[in-house]
Amino acid sequence: MLTTDERKRYDRQIMIRGLGEDGQEKLKRAKVIIAGSGGLGSAASIYLVAAGVGTIRIVDHDRVELSNLNRQVLHWDNDIGRNKADSAAEKLSQLNQGVKIEAMDETINEANISRLVAGFDLIVDAMDNLPTRYLLNKAAIENNIPFVHGAVYGFEGRAMTIIPGKTACLRCVYRGLIPEEKFPVIGVTPAVIGCIQATEVIKYITGIGKLLTNRLLVYNGLNMKFREFKVKKDLNCEHCGHSTGKE
Amino acid sequence: MSIKIEIPSYLQPYTNNMEVVEVNGSTVGGCLNHLVKQFPGIEKMLFAKNGKLFGYVAIYINGEDAYPEELAKPVKDGDELDILYIIGGG
Repeated sequence: MLTTDERKRYDRQIMIRGLGEDGQEKLKRAKVIIAGSGGLGSAASIYLVAAGVGTIRIVDHDRVELSNLNRQVLHWDNDIGRNKADSAAEKLSQLNQGVKIEAMDETINEANISRLVAGFDLIVDAMDNLPTRYLLNKAAIENNIPFVHGAVYGFEGRAMTIIPGKTACLRCVYRGLIPEEKFPVIGVTPAVIGCIQATEVIKYITGIGKLLTNRLLVYNGLNMKFREFKVKKDLNCEHCGHSTGKE
Repeated sequence: MSIKIEIPSYLQPYTNNMEVVEVNGSTVGGCLNHLVKQFPGIEKMLFAKNGKLFGYVAIYINGEDAYPEELAKPVKDGDELDILYIIGGG
């Protein structure tokens, strides 16, 4: 049940056709893990906390650096040197005290990933490197947890939603690794893509709209174009091939 | 046959900053070879030494993923190809 304050706080979104109090209660009960508290993670977490997702777990082992501040808007000048998950959790708790925020100062790896995602309803991929994205994708499939991918480069961004056992996964679409490099980016790009990821999370939890599945959304901020590319599940995919997910 | 290839921003330095390049070819491989003929510098960004596309390069024909055997996929006049590089920034 929603409290009187919650009805007031979320009044404008409860008004949305198809969302309603029922959808708001679903958001309140939902648990979302956000892997990474950089540019994508900042944008996605701000709007998921504002929307009233009940539990948000933020996992990030990095420390805030001056060069992060052009895009990672949850981290401010005074946070330089702090753990990013802690820095983000502090701001998000002030934004909405009704949301349980868990900060995890951990590097995601094969040894801890199952523990980190256990019991969560959705995983948001807000990482800054492909190996960890692939690790998350695999864990999402193995644990049957929907996975919302986002990535940025310069003024370009990508997003896609993966429903294990049903839709193409990240590995069906991305089959290789690129050499690790310092990538160019301006803050507005992860802001756009992070908000798209948050939108997908809200739609999935509340059961409204059409998810960004089997479609890779490519955003080009310079030309201000959104394009969709059709992708299909690869039966030989090393992560989801022949997988039907857990029933 | 005229096929348009949309060049992603990170490869545009290899095509004199052209966003779209017109090529000829009856397969994806033929079209990419024509692209390389016009802009030789782009070859190292697309092809491994064994002549195969790098794993991080995906080709889309009219918005649909051409994987697997991308290079052998036929194309026809008016088709549009997109080269999508993997990006991983966050």
